[in-house]
Amino acid sequence: MANSSQGGNPLQPPPLSQGRNPLQPPLSEVAHLSVRNITKRFGPAKAVDDVSFEIPRGSFATLLGPSGCGKTTTLRMIAGFYDPDEGDIILSGKRINELPAHRRGTAMVFQDYALFPHMTVRDNVGYGLRVQNASKEDRERRVEETLQFVGLGGLGGRWPSQLSGGQQQRVAVGRALVLRPEILLLDEPLSNLDAKLRVSLRWELRALQRQLKMTFVYVTHDQDEALSLSDWIAVMNAGKVEQAGTPWDIYYHPRTSFLADFVGAVNLVPGTVREVRGDEIVVAFGQRAVTVRKPAGLPLDAGRDVRLCVRPEALALRPPSADPDGIRLPGVVARRAFLGDLMRYWVTVDGREWIVDQQDPGAAADFDGPVTVAVKPERIHVIAEG
Amino acid sequence: MTSLRREPSLLFALLAVTGLVLVFIVYPQLRVILEPGGSGYIDFFAGQTWVRPLQNSLTVTALSTTTAVLLGFIYAYAMVYTDMPGKPFFRLIGILPLLSPPFVVAAAYILLFGPRGIITYSIFGQSPNILGLYGIWGVQTIAFFPFAYQLIADVLSRSDARLEQAARNLGAGPWQVFKSVTLPLTRPGLGAAILTTAIYVLEDFGNPALIGGLYVVLPTQAYGLISGFGELDAAAAVSTILLGLALVLYLGKLRLDGGRQYVTVSGKASSMPRPPVPRVVSWGAFVACSLCALIILLVFGVLFVSAITLHFPTNLIPTSEHFAYVGAHNLSLRNTLTYGVIAAVLSSVFALFAAFLVERGKWRGRRVLDFLLIMPAAVPGLFFGLGYVTAFNGTWLDDIDETGGLIITIALIFWNIPVGYQAAVAGLRQIDRTIDEAATSLGAGGLRMFREILMPMLGGSLRVGFTTTFVRAVTTLSLIIFLFTTQSVTATITIFQLVGDFNWGGAAAFTVADIGMAVIALLVIAILSRGRVSLGGARG
Repeated sequence: MANSSQGGNPLQPPPLSQGRNPLQPPLSEVAHLSVRNITKRFGPAKAVDDVSFEIPRGSFATLLGPSGCGKTTTLRMIAGFYDPDEGDIILSGKRINELPAHRRGTAMVFQDYALFPHMTVRDNVGYGLRVQNASKEDRERRVEETLQFVGLGGLGGRWPSQLSGGQQQRVAVGRALVLRPEILLLDEPLSNLDAKLRVSLRWELRALQRQLKMTFVYVTHDQDEALSLSDWIAVMNAGKVEQAGTPWDIYYHPRTSFLADFVGAVNLVPGTVREVRGDEIVVAFGQRAVTVRKPAGLPLDAGRDVRLCVRPEALALRPPSADPDGIRLPGVVARRAFLGDLMRYWVTVDGREWIVDQQDPGAAADFDGPVTVAVKPERIHVIAEG
Repeated sequence: MTSLRREPSLLFALLAVTGLVLVFIVYPQLRVILEPGGSGYIDFFAGQTWVRPLQNSLTVTALSTTTAVLLGFIYAYAMVYTDMPGKPFFRLIGILPLLSPPFVVAAAYILLFGPRGIITYSIFGQSPNILGLYGIWGVQTIAFFPFAYQLIADVLSRSDARLEQAARNLGAGPWQVFKSVTLPLTRPGLGAAILTTAIYVLEDFGNPALIGGLYVVLPTQAYGLISGFGELDAAAAVSTILLGLALVLYLGKLRLDGGRQYVTVSGKASSMPRPPVPRVVSWGAFVACSLCALIILLVFGVLFVSAITLHFPTNLIPTSEHFAYVGAHNLSLRNTLTYGVIAAVLSSVFALFAAFLVERGKWRGRRVLDFLLIMPAAVPGLFFGLGYVTAFNGTWLDDIDETGGLIITIALIFWNIPVGYQAAVAGLRQIDRTIDEAATSLGAGGLRMFREILMPMLGGSLRVGFTTTFVRAVTTLSLIIFLFTTQSVTATITIFQLVGDFNWGGAAAFTVADIGMAVIALLVIAILSRGRVSLGGARG
């Protein structure tokens, strides 16, 4: 990565291997960033507790978790603002624990942007170059290129206070990118924007990352953001990584109830393993039983307490008389909420409420009173905990 | 800030700052405290000469603080809560005394009520003896109520108008709201304001010196012991008692408000209006403020008229003679300006840098440095000045200090550190650390980040330190009274000496010039900062 300045785009690191499905980064690829067993204590509390993960080169990696889970602390250790108490941080095969923040080749985009209020947009973006004693011409050229690149051409003379939130965010990104970092760290960069802008800037960030083929490490507490942006997600809770993997895996095959619940709405139904039949298991819940695929790598014996995990959109409502494929659960609509793009029903089945999402309510039938909830067994995921 | 281990330049800077603090804040004070020695203290306390002044100091501090705070509170309440007419005028009148040496009130008092005073003698034909407790009490009340007003108005205006609106909305009357919402919420701030006023009164040297007569308080006793008898040991012991009292008051204040040292003098109202008070309260407030303003105007008016008439009050022919005198003896004004500007620049920058090291650093012992930087706020000027005499007389500092101006400037720098320091700490706390980190991750080292990022963002804090130090240079008497030489005499010293010589016209003209300098400085700063001026109170 030392020769990152070559190539057409001034901000672009060297090309990475071609033909990769962004949703399934090959695990065989050498990790760009490795975090190995890092722990950080603040007083007696462990903010980050023995965390390890590997991020492939050129991927959009996200640390997702509720506030206080240790995700920002982890990011700041990668950036060099905190020293880990234990463990190693390895970037491109080199241990960077001892390097000061500005020698790491990491650049950071902060949650509140941290723009210097007494400098113009141009001076903000050019500050890093000035510190590096880049020549005036070089500096001006690169600053202009960067401003164009992040869509701020012509705004170089403005002050940060004269910019909208979205523009300030672009300045922050430009200021980080102008130094051609090896890796870009982003700490909840969209959380201070209003909902609509947040979504549109999401796609811009993703497009930027694709264009640069740069490794992004992104911290957020917003699961929508994480799912829609990332190649790889690590969900953190209480200082530990609960699960890491593709958005698909995290959403449909969560390993814990916390994960299932944190990443979107979910029905978590307690049950018991009745029997194991090769690749399949039979799980009893309430008066019923269902045969589902056995999750890999889980020691599930008969008699073990588990939870059935079903996403609301995997369920369908049918009239009580209907006879759909799969499992049929007779119930009664308790209440419902119109959310625009979907109608959310709470249906009481055997005394327990199930959340059922109906897509495109404008074109769908309206349910009330007795209904049948239908679900295909392959849409049910089993979590090994009581 | 990255760790000192990784940045030797920061470590070096920290050592330099610590060294300066030890040499110019800690060492001189230790020298005064240790000056009398064990047997010296035994003799001194056995001699009991201190008992009377101590009692007097306590008495006069209690009396003057009470009345000054009472007046100040009424003035502040009127300014913050009522919609009385003439507020801009009253605000202006309230600022004026902050820019003048407190002891000029005593001078005006003598002119008005003295044996040949315009009111006592010219109107009523009396020549009363005004020296003593009641004179000091009255003069200090007038001299320090504007300080109490500024402090209390600051506290009141920071109380949350929304809560008061909410209480009114729930049906409470104005008085009930004040008693049950405003007062409980502002009590710590008010307590701190009272204690701060008490410190000002306690350490006041000029007023008791001019009209105390035989009523000796601790500062005047310490001064008398040195100037009259050359008894440095006894003076040091008296000053140490004074320091002890001030420290007690100051620690109480710190407990209450955590060390806020300055007020912002601006006409800005909070975004939420306060609930209205009854009309009769507004008018009552107006009458009370008018009376207070009248007294202040009388004080400064008398001085002004004295400065432009031949011999006030017996000969009121206009003359420029006194100002010509000032012009001919302008060394002290030039000195004040020079020392004031140099000290203000260095003190505010030093305070800012020290605040950066303490507030952003993670090193051990920064709490100690923090305490040492705040401590001078509790040290009476007389004690601080005495410390410099004791510590540096006939040393290397004397050798390089040809005129004696250097030692005064240094004393001004370090005596005035706390205000700028506290303002800088408060300012730094408002700057998110991600700003530091952004600069660091872009490659700036600690010192560079301070210079290019933080310092430009802390202009407000810098101005607080600068303004306060300069105003205090213009107004302080007690700090310099032991330090000046014939070449390094300052305006306050000259005024003090002229009053002592009964040269009223000269003293008044010097006072007008001195205050004029402070006013101009403040105006320049106000224009540069577009209207917001913050300062710690002047100290005698």
